[in-house]
Amino acid sequence: MTRYLRLIRIFTGATVAAQLEYRANFVGAVLASLGQVGVALLGIGVLFGQPGTTSVGGWSFREALLVTGFYMLTEGFIAVFVQPNMSRIAEAVRTGSMDFTLLKPIDAQFNVSTRNLNVLRMPDIVIGLGLILYSASALTVTPGSVLAATLLYASALVIVYCIWLGLSTTAFWFVKTQNVTELFSGVFGAARFPTSAFPVPVRFLLTFVVPVAFVTTVPAQALTGQLGVELALASPVVAAALFLVTRLFWRHAVASYTSASS
Amino acid sequence: MAEYRAEVVIWMLSGTLSLVMMLVWMAQAAAAPGGMVRGYKPADFATYFLATWVVAQLLVVWVSHELDYEIRQGVLSPKLLRPLDPFWQHLLGHVSERFIRIVPMLALVAVFAWLSGARFTPHWWAYPAALGLIVVGFSARFLWEYTIGLLAFWTDSSTSFQEIVWLVYAALGGMFAPLAFYPEWVQRIAVWTPFPYMLGLPAQLLAGKATLGQAGQGALVLLGWLAVFWVVRLTVWRAGLRKYGAVGA
Repeated sequence: MTRYLRLIRIFTGATVAAQLEYRANFVGAVLASLGQVGVALLGIGVLFGQPGTTSVGGWSFREALLVTGFYMLTEGFIAVFVQPNMSRIAEAVRTGSMDFTLLKPIDAQFNVSTRNLNVLRMPDIVIGLGLILYSASALTVTPGSVLAATLLYASALVIVYCIWLGLSTTAFWFVKTQNVTELFSGVFGAARFPTSAFPVPVRFLLTFVVPVAFVTTVPAQALTGQLGVELALASPVVAAALFLVTRLFWRHAVASYTSASS
Repeated sequence: MAEYRAEVVIWMLSGTLSLVMMLVWMAQAAAAPGGMVRGYKPADFATYFLATWVVAQLLVVWVSHELDYEIRQGVLSPKLLRPLDPFWQHLLGHVSERFIRIVPMLALVAVFAWLSGARFTPHWWAYPAALGLIVVGFSARFLWEYTIGLLAFWTDSSTSFQEIVWLVYAALGGMFAPLAFYPEWVQRIAVWTPFPYMLGLPAQLLAGKATLGQAGQGALVLLGWLAVFWVVRLTVWRAGLRKYGAVGA
């Protein structure tokens, strides 16, 4: 365990050092973050800007903004931690450099998941946290609800990681996976609004088929103390099940991997 | 392009913003007193946003990513030896992709319209008018995206500029809501930009909520912008080539 923690520290140091070489990229990353938050805020701003509109799907403006905050935070998590690693899996399979990863005396899934970071997209995480703090400041929040929200958000991050890993693992059979993850980002765009803002059949899809409801709506509900017990219990169960399934899928993929040259 | 048919469908489905907004607005109208927001019933929202989705699909341009790659990797150099501006090759690539895109797109629209209750206008003249606006709008968008791609001669964050410009295009074009839903001052700025005429106006034509006169007016504004973007593109291209040659490529 300590070995893995030490490795995370080494990986982080290496990738941060490599990224800071290109300082001009920072401007680009800030612009991209501004674009992201702009889209998220405009969508919700126009909705609430209509005369007579005080709630969307039963959520007040501040509450809905909380969901947007969690959405930005998750976008940041994906951009900083998940995507830089997962997008390299397909490349490694195609070029054969996956061989070296598999030969190393550490768990291969750990290696492909933690090797890279995109620190330049940290502003997304800061913006997300800022939005959450701003909207929570006007709502009644108890220490208990903060704890519940934190725990549920942790399982949300596991869910996001597992979906990405599952999609990226298909690279062992289909050489290109960029399109599939693009499709996930498209569906994930629905997470910028509370699930109850959607028509009923779509709500069902967003909760049980593509579980994006657990990523933003559920932690926000936990923070405002409006979460039902069923959803609170379902979130960690879904996360654990997804983790197990993707772990097995990954092992299966590695077992059937035959290198690029053989 | 025909080889990538499955990918084209996935690309189309990943442009979900207008579909997400459609679902939210439909639920919003259904829950509102009287069953409508600003005179839009759920079916009206479905029609507007599906039309926006169709128009946005036909306006898709990815040339700035290609140029960014070509300039950075030096792929551009051999292309410069040809007696034709690489601009035309990119343009034809985009145009031919439209023909592949249109068949699965119409199938998807039919399914979405059936599911959401959207109804497009019965007036035949709205369709050629919308198509005309889309053609001019696409040309204008292609030119500005091309110019952004050319910024790769000077900076390595040209694709992030593209994200910001896309945001303005989507917002003022009416991808979040019909333009009439925006605050007054935003509308006053928007009418001077090309965005409402290339995205929102064709969508309103297809939804039967815009007149032929408005279409003509929009076409004139778009043509003006087209001329501006043409000059800008050419100027940036010439300046960029001088810069590119200077580093010994």
